[in-house]
Amino acid sequence: MLNALDKDLLKAVADLDDLPQGAYSIRKNGKLESRSVTANIDIVTDDKRDGIIVTIAPGTINESVHIPVILSENGLNDVVYNTFIVGAGSDVTIVAGCGIHCGGPEPEGHEGIHEFRVEKGARLKYVEKHYASGHGFGRKIMNPTTKVHLEENAHVEMELTQIGGVDEANRINEAVLGPGSSLMIMERVMTEGDQKADSRNEIILAGEGSSSNMISRSVIKGNSRQNFYATMVARQKCFGHIECDAIIMDNGANETIPALRAEHPDAELSHEASIGKIAGDQLMKLMSLGLSDEEAVNMIIQGFLR
Amino acid sequence: MLELKNLSFSVAEKNENGEEKRRDIIDEMDFTFEAGKFYAITGPNGSGKTTLSRLIMGINQPSAGSIFFEGKDITGMTITERATAGISYSFQQPARFKGVTFRDLLSVAARTENEEKLLEIVRRVGICPLSFLDKPVDSTLSGGEIKKIELATTIARNPKLAIYDEPDTGIDLWTIMPMVNLLKKEQIDHKTTTIVVSHNRSFLDVADDILIVDHGKLRYHGNLKNALPMLNDFRICSFNPCPEGEQDAQCFR
Repeated sequence: MLNALDKDLLKAVADLDDLPQGAYSIRKNGKLESRSVTANIDIVTDDKRDGIIVTIAPGTINESVHIPVILSENGLNDVVYNTFIVGAGSDVTIVAGCGIHCGGPEPEGHEGIHEFRVEKGARLKYVEKHYASGHGFGRKIMNPTTKVHLEENAHVEMELTQIGGVDEANRINEAVLGPGSSLMIMERVMTEGDQKADSRNEIILAGEGSSSNMISRSVIKGNSRQNFYATMVARQKCFGHIECDAIIMDNGANETIPALRAEHPDAELSHEASIGKIAGDQLMKLMSLGLSDEEAVNMIIQGFLR
Repeated sequence: MLELKNLSFSVAEKNENGEEKRRDIIDEMDFTFEAGKFYAITGPNGSGKTTLSRLIMGINQPSAGSIFFEGKDITGMTITERATAGISYSFQQPARFKGVTFRDLLSVAARTENEEKLLEIVRRVGICPLSFLDKPVDSTLSGGEIKKIELATTIARNPKLAIYDEPDTGIDLWTIMPMVNLLKKEQIDHKTTTIVVSHNRSFLDVADDILIVDHGKLRYHGNLKNALPMLNDFRICSFNPCPEGEQDAQCFR
């Protein structure tokens, strides 16, 4: 049964007030809590390693899968390997997320590896949120990894968000794109206090006519630190762009290294990166509309991470 | 309604010998703006017009002197406090955001998220199409579009005093007259005391009072007719040559 705390975490990471519609698999403290499948979406436990295999039948349209993970047992380090097979020509949304509540002195952590095979012509929207709460002294650690293989003409949109409270994160995203496929990644990370977050990304544009756009938005408050590394490799005529923006506040520190590697003469790759504090003209504009200094900062950050 | 008393603003500068000197941008200026009137402030580039308008909004702090708004000394007030008191400001170069839409800014300015009320403001402003509402106020907007949004957020405050710093920069010729008429209509319908910093003849034509500023001093105050010889013949305007086709805008150049 889900208690009130679980429901809070579920709301924060998956925007769910109760059990979701359609297919889902909820994991709590390292064990299966509840599961539901549909005619087109099957979820089975992986018998080789801890995790699930989600199989979406070819041609499945407008269905969704929710696979939230909640951790509230102090001292637990949950490691999970989930596999998703998105059938040819389907169009689906997968919502994943991990909520940690740490009420004790021991560290709690979740390492989730999500591997996707997106078949020919399929469209996938993947939404992942990480959130931690609780006043325990234990460090809340999240290390999410995504590995995406896009077959011919597949399209994937990924929204990866770390919304607060996570003390340590090592985020890894890897993708290999087939011919005519496209991948759009939007990553948003906010850190505060003494938190630390690393994001490492490698996108390989292996197929002709493939394209990718990776956008990273970071807000670094307090004494926190974020590092962002992204490499885009072009092996065919393709298009790739990396955009990374960081707002630093207080004593925050940031290192951003976008890298481009072209192995084909018709590759078109570009990147833009910026790090800076909140622009004075933005603050002045909002204050001239009647907001206080603090309200103006909040509005600018909310927009930036939207 | 707005009084400038002995108002000065100076900056530190180094001369050729490396010695630090203070240069006055605004030099002991005294003036009283009357409630409900339309003022146009004009003068050559670098004369101090923008600085003067920024001092009134509290964006820059004066080096000396004071500013009174409706009888109250606002010299030490923050931008937020002045906005709350009823002063609204259109920036010459409006800020661009990431992830903030026109709707967001308008909701803050008008203190409401009500769709009907927001649309009513857009209709009242007239120069922005309704489809602008969900546009992000970011680098994808053209110079003219962002100026229209800036103007709308200023008007949405229903200010007692509205200050527009070069509102026509980047605006196409076809929009300038509707913009002039809009500011004039706001002045009349809402009794908004209006200050427009501009070189554009169209704004000077509708102003009740013209102020000519040069070298940080108020050189002239009065009607346009008497200002014309000064603007044309005394050559206080040290503008660059007029670009081709600009004559149609009837700029004072």
